[in-house]
Amino acid sequence: MKFIRPNDMEGLFQNIEENNDRKYFLAGGTDINIQIKNGTIKDAEIIYIKHLKELNGIQIEKDDIVIGATTNISDILNSKIIKENLPFFQRSLESFASPLLQTSATIGGNIANGSPTADVVPLLLVLDAKLEIVSKSQIRIIELTNFFTGYKTNIMKANELIRSIIIPKKAENGFDTFFEKVGSRKSLMISKISLAGLKNISHNKFTTIKLAAGSLNEYPRRLYKIEEYLTDKSLLEIDFLKVEELLNEEITPITDLRSDKEYRYHVCVNLIRTFLNE
Amino acid sequence: MKCVRKFDARPKLDGSWKFIDDYSYPEMIHGQLLYSKCHHGYIKKINFPENYDLSEFTIVSSKDIPGENIVPEPVCDQPFMMDKEVMHYGQGILGIAHPDRKLLLKFIKETKIEYEELPAITDIKECLNNPDNVFGRELTIDHRTGKKPDPHWDHHHKIYYTPHQEQAYLEPQGMIAVWQPKDKIMFVRATCQCPFFVKEGVEAIMGDSIKEAIIETSEGIGGAFGGKEDFPSLLAGITSLLSYKSGKPVKIVLEREDDIRITTKRHPSRIEIETWTDPEAKKIMKIDIDYRLDAGAYQTLSPVVLARGVLHSISGYSIPDTFIRGRLFRSNTPSNGAFRGFGAPQAFAAMEAHIDEIAAGMNINPYKFRKKNIFKIGDEFPTTQPILENHLSDCLERVIEKSNYFQKLEEFKEWNKTHKDKKGIGISIGYHGGGYTGNGEKVLNSEVKVVIEKDATVKIFVANTDMGQGAHTTLAQMFFEAIDHPREKCLVQLPNTSKTPNSGPTVASRTIYIIGNLLRKFAFKIKDELEFENLEEYVTSNQNEFPREFRMNFVQDPSVVFDDENYVGVAYKDYSWAACVTEIYFLADTYQIELTKSWNVMDIGKVVNQKIATGQAEGGVLQGLAYGLCEFFYKSGYGRMHGFTDYALPTTLDLPEIDVEFIHTDSPIAKGLGEIPMDFPAPSVRNAFHNATGIFIDEYPLVPERIFKHLKKI
Repeated sequence: MKFIRPNDMEGLFQNIEENNDRKYFLAGGTDINIQIKNGTIKDAEIIYIKHLKELNGIQIEKDDIVIGATTNISDILNSKIIKENLPFFQRSLESFASPLLQTSATIGGNIANGSPTADVVPLLLVLDAKLEIVSKSQIRIIELTNFFTGYKTNIMKANELIRSIIIPKKAENGFDTFFEKVGSRKSLMISKISLAGLKNISHNKFTTIKLAAGSLNEYPRRLYKIEEYLTDKSLLEIDFLKVEELLNEEITPITDLRSDKEYRYHVCVNLIRTFLNE
Repeated sequence: MKCVRKFDARPKLDGSWKFIDDYSYPEMIHGQLLYSKCHHGYIKKINFPENYDLSEFTIVSSKDIPGENIVPEPVCDQPFMMDKEVMHYGQGILGIAHPDRKLLLKFIKETKIEYEELPAITDIKECLNNPDNVFGRELTIDHRTGKKPDPHWDHHHKIYYTPHQEQAYLEPQGMIAVWQPKDKIMFVRATCQCPFFVKEGVEAIMGDSIKEAIIETSEGIGGAFGGKEDFPSLLAGITSLLSYKSGKPVKIVLEREDDIRITTKRHPSRIEIETWTDPEAKKIMKIDIDYRLDAGAYQTLSPVVLARGVLHSISGYSIPDTFIRGRLFRSNTPSNGAFRGFGAPQAFAAMEAHIDEIAAGMNINPYKFRKKNIFKIGDEFPTTQPILENHLSDCLERVIEKSNYFQKLEEFKEWNKTHKDKKGIGISIGYHGGGYTGNGEKVLNSEVKVVIEKDATVKIFVANTDMGQGAHTTLAQMFFEAIDHPREKCLVQLPNTSKTPNSGPTVASRTIYIIGNLLRKFAFKIKDELEFENLEEYVTSNQNEFPREFRMNFVQDPSVVFDDENYVGVAYKDYSWAACVTEIYFLADTYQIELTKSWNVMDIGKVVNQKIATGQAEGGVLQGLAYGLCEFFYKSGYGRMHGFTDYALPTTLDLPEIDVEFIHTDSPIAKGLGEIPMDFPAPSVRNAFHNATGIFIDEYPLVPERIFKHLKKI
């Protein structure tokens, strides 16, 4: 195991480009430290990035809110910019781990770690967030929904990292919002199911529906098929059996130590129903 | 009823109070256990990793034991370490020590053991449903009339299951052994409840190779809940052996995940209850209880847990025709052990659930049905011990009144008609016999010592430990309040087996009840003997008499006569009583139960320190509610939870508002308090869930996945 603390972005990129070893970026460390301790991560290069200013902070840039990857969850919870523009996002993050972990965990880490249970991802998915991914010579902006490719895997190349998360300033505007994180207790828990939703209604019909689920697939995902089915329908026109059928295509819940797949599936059904009815 | 502040509150806040891992000795090295990862099998080969200098390590196995390879327990059947056949996951195979703790942990992780695997029972139901797994002595309380049940009586027959529970003390198990070859003394610093048990353990394993083991506790003991009753004996034995072999002080502090895996838990139970109830009189006429505990691989202290479980299994009801049998079942899992309540929480979880079952079947309100059957003066326990007070009934009446039970019942019923989510309210009652069961206290013959110094400081020497429950503050208070001595001049000394007489273990809700009341008597006795009005003045004017030592033994009340063979007689001199009402909110979308309010009324006799007592009661109630609701430890097919990420201890956000009231506090006796708050709350959650939804769940805890399965069945 090798620990590196680059002095600046230049040093960081130099290291990434030169070295092809397996590497991990360390910022908050709330997950990586555990993986190192239990041996999931070994013989790897750990690059510390929390001190790099370019990766940190919350700003408004034109029509977007830009959140640096190493920004702590507590910073988002305390941010005036977030409060004014994305109050639903801010409110929902209160259920993130615990106040103690919120001060250390980072938004970029929660995404890059790639856990199916990542708390911020379903929220960011319904807010149409994008990621700014950088390497020494390239910057590319990609939709968060296209970021993950499987369990703990993503589209990033070995010489890239997430610089920031970009959320449209008006992502929540005009929407009814919904977020439910279900776990074995109210704090300090890993979700069994999480569901984020945005909707707006015009003339009794759902004009826009955005739904994203966590802990129900290899990675948190938008439920596009259900969104498509629900759009332009009124509550009375919705056949919930059809919703259940589509959900079966969209999610692949598992039974593990924490919960059961049937439970996960049915709770998801119930939550969608409540989201639409409320 | 004074609220004397805990004497250790400030040093704990400023961090100066020392817990086991804060101690260090010159040349001290670190030890750990290498334990079995196989449930049952023969050890074929132990492969140490390469690239380590084995000469730097001290390694002990059962072959190094100079004394006996059996941990002293009520039933001596558990070895310290195994070298051929392992009987359960987590069984000690080697003790290993090295100066570098990190390197040691890595070495142990990389050490691989080859096993020849044998059939193993690891599933709770597989263990408890099969009578072939019975071991140890069967207990019966036979109070049958021999008459056949009247065919008109309502018959109810149910099986209830309760889970493991993890003690989850803040400070993991830890031990430091310092071998002193010159005096042939093994000094052990322990985080434990029972220093004299640890002494027996060390002297058993070391045999004649030592002259004496001296055990002193760490200043702070970071919680125990029964988990530090017997396991420390095993740990101290292996730590001592490592110190003996290496010639250096050795410290073992378990990693949290190891602690969860290998130490004792609450016994899972299967309790089958069959009742016959007279539908006119609404009285239970006959009961059969089959009380089973999963003891784990060895009996150790399980027979004592079984005894208490059986003795509390009928809950607080007078039933003329009674048959109770209790049995231990063997599995290939770590021995289960002591845990606050000691068999009683399982008993109440089943019987208090069953009472609601009968009440629902007969369409009578659960409170009214309890009232019909509850213990009254003139009734008897199944052991024929007479009921001498109506305090259990008083607790029930008071809690029904203060919780506005009947009004809420109506309110919730109305509310539920128009809501998808449901509100519910449930009752349960409980009691706990103080001190050791039956003749136990007589056998223990506890002794306490007091030294009065030249400056009138009173030093109290008892073996009972303060594990955070405030026992040392309360014990001192019972002494100094009796003779009106200044509190700063009365101190309980750190338990040390060479200085402290054996006042017995810190278990069985006996510390304040037996030792505290003894100290109070002792204070009066010394006062009478010296004939003083004011101790300070007396000491000042009689300086040549001091320092002076006094000793006193506990004398059991002659009314306590118990037939251990037939389970007849007085099992406990004094009982603490309790009743509770719990309100819940059931979330229909997620099948989760939220606790909204918990009302508790307890009779613990005289309350010595209101604040400490309330703290104990609130903590115990929460532990009891969580036992019924969310503390899910073992999942069939998936095994045990690995740590606190998955084992759902409630957080402060999950807490309901907890109301605690003590009644009959004018009693001269301070009765047992430690365990009773844990005994009774769990079934109230289950009963409240029935009130909310009309569904009975007979398996604890009521995790949402279990509720979901029940709802889908209907």
